Amino acid sequence: MRLARVEGNVVATRKHPSLEGWRLMVCQPINLEGEDDGTPIIAIDPHGAGMHQRVIVSSDGLAARRMVGDNRSPVRMMITGIVDKTEEDAA
Amino acid sequence: MRLGKVIGRVTLSQAIPSFEGGRWLVVNPYTGDRYQNGTTPPDGLSAEPSLVVFDALGGDVGQTIGFIEGREAATPFPEPTPVDAICAALVDTVYHDPMK
Repeated sequence: MRLARVEGNVVATRKHPSLEGWRLMVCQPINLEGEDDGTPIIAIDPHGAGMHQRVIVSSDGLAARRMVGDNRSPVRMMITGIVDKTEEDAA
Repeated sequence: MRLGKVIGRVTLSQAIPSFEGGRWLVVNPYTGDRYQNGTTPPDGLSAEPSLVVFDALGGDVGQTIGFIEGREAATPFPEPTPVDAICAALVDTVYHDPMK
């Protein structure tokens, strides 16, 4: 799973039916210091993450398919948690 | 899913049977520094390598689409198909506000 920061959302009227009604959030993967670390990912968001909030994004399609309730859906990325606090290990 | 701009199309003359009647778009993925904000795609190309994406939604050249990569891209197909990138959304608007 990736640590990411929510940096926007996407509006698409014409899309795979299983994505209908889902919030499509732009999630920028970040490292522990908060610097960008990879290209932005669009993930469905069942938790209502707010702008610039840090989240955990999972790339497990099985869980995402179950969440959207369509076994033939290509959905893959899903926000699985909203980060409260991260501690940096002293190591 | 990632966003990218459709920069071309591919027509196959010889292909494996399950690719029959497929529509293929060449897509250049957006990077964080050159992302779409609003309704018009950023001009030029990003440093990310472009890829060929299976499309059943009717994406056109110059349009921004959302495409999904990996094994999940093959799930909508009736029988196992070696597709690893599929167009899942034709993007109308993007709101992008990086915390720079």
